[in-house]
Amino acid sequence: MLDRVRRDVERNALRARNGIKLVAGVDRPGVGQTPKDVVWQRGRTQLWHYRNDPDTYGGVRYGPPLLIVFSMVSRSYILDLTPGNSFVEQLLNAGFDVYMLDWGEPDERDAGNGLEDYVDDYIPAGIDRVLELSGADEVNLFGYCFGGDLALLYAAHHPDAPLRSLTVLATPVDFRHMGPLADIFAVGGMDVGSVLDADGNVPPSVVVQGFRALTPTAEVTRYVTLWERLWNDDYVASYQAMTGWSDDHVPFPGAAARETAEMLVRNNGMVDDRLTVGGDRVHLSDIQVPFLTVRANRDHIVPPDATAPLIDLVGSPDKHELCLDAGHMGLVVGRTAAKTTVPTIIDFVRRRSDPLDADDTREEA
Amino acid sequence: MTQPPAPRTPPPSPPLWRQAFDAAERAVAPRAEDLVRSEYFSLATALLRRAQTVAGSSVQGVSARAWHLLNLPAGSDISRLRAQIGSLDREVRRLTIQLEQERRRGSTSRPHSSRPTTATTTEDSDADGAQPPDGARSRPARRRAQRPSGS
Repeated sequence: MLDRVRRDVERNALRARNGIKLVAGVDRPGVGQTPKDVVWQRGRTQLWHYRNDPDTYGGVRYGPPLLIVFSMVSRSYILDLTPGNSFVEQLLNAGFDVYMLDWGEPDERDAGNGLEDYVDDYIPAGIDRVLELSGADEVNLFGYCFGGDLALLYAAHHPDAPLRSLTVLATPVDFRHMGPLADIFAVGGMDVGSVLDADGNVPPSVVVQGFRALTPTAEVTRYVTLWERLWNDDYVASYQAMTGWSDDHVPFPGAAARETAEMLVRNNGMVDDRLTVGGDRVHLSDIQVPFLTVRANRDHIVPPDATAPLIDLVGSPDKHELCLDAGHMGLVVGRTAAKTTVPTIIDFVRRRSDPLDADDTREEA
Repeated sequence: MTQPPAPRTPPPSPPLWRQAFDAAERAVAPRAEDLVRSEYFSLATALLRRAQTVAGSSVQGVSARAWHLLNLPAGSDISRLRAQIGSLDREVRRLTIQLEQERRRGSTSRPHSSRPTTATTTEDSDADGAQPPDGARSRPARRRAQRPSGS
């Protein structure tokens, strides 16, 4: 009894200390810390090259390089959350040369950006720059969340694309199952124009509210769990990093939002084969490169029903699906990611890559 | 002689208040999720948003007329100007990217993008510190992909 009282007093003292830290916003864990260089930039879009330092990560041991295409509604640091809990770090440790295409924070200059801008301009330009820097002839392309949709559209619209393989994570294709955010456009008939901000983009608050509506009670549960574990320093650090990311979205370019609502949500274009990019009809069945889709069955942002049909839509003879008992973030951060997701992805890509000889590795480093 | 493993202590059960919260959450969550996924919720949200937009644009129209009476630009004029500048910026950006691709294609003779090129003028690239000012230079290939794409 005395022990329990003592434990409760200690925990309440720790709660008070961590609560003050949380409210004051001090002692936030550093995110996105893996060393990288900006190797190309156009508008708000940047191409990052992560340094595969031989002393830290063992240098580049496999080619061709990996290019990650990130989502358009969130911040890319989720893939490089904290040291020791980083998807990118694991890829570097596995011997890959890793690049990331980050869309930055769109403003009024990006309001007119349609999906075509990303699929036909930015991704090809990013790939060209990767090939130029690495000297390789192909890349292994990764798409995360909506970045996976962009990667799919790119691969389908450019059958001659220099891709060794295509991997997509938590990528929705059946937008009928995307929950309230999709329903208000598909069922409610709402016009995208009515949610646009003065800068012509969908404000981040609309995106956040849309995702929150998927699990209406999760917000309350989150605070209750935080109060329960506020004494635990590790939990608080992880809470700050994870919820910091899930509340931190970026504006969605207006023209791309209109296309998404019309083509992907109302017409359910991916599943019903009604896709158009830059005026051309596009078919996912035209994707013939080795393909891996990774999805989570407890995903509350991209529900499992939205990702499930993808494997059957892609035309690749060499295609695989990995369905994990994880949530949206759990696919790329945390224990499930470290033990299952990333090793499976690494294995898939490594089997379709070439080991580089020692001279190449030294030169690359 | 090895010691038998100590019996694992079960994790402590959550406090009573947490158990009560979990029970309440289990009862409420499915109903709340059904509600937000219902057709009525979507229609109501869309109608509400439409009403907000109509109200907002009416107020904006009145205030714009007031500013125009004083021969001053209104917020809507600035928004229109921003959109026009944005559109121009996008055009320049797209042309620059297509020009870059053409340059690279010329230097590496690697066909990649299937887009037709519309750029006919040369534009200075905007602020790319990582790229040489005289355009991207390709490095000699050190390794080749051994698998044709699509295999």
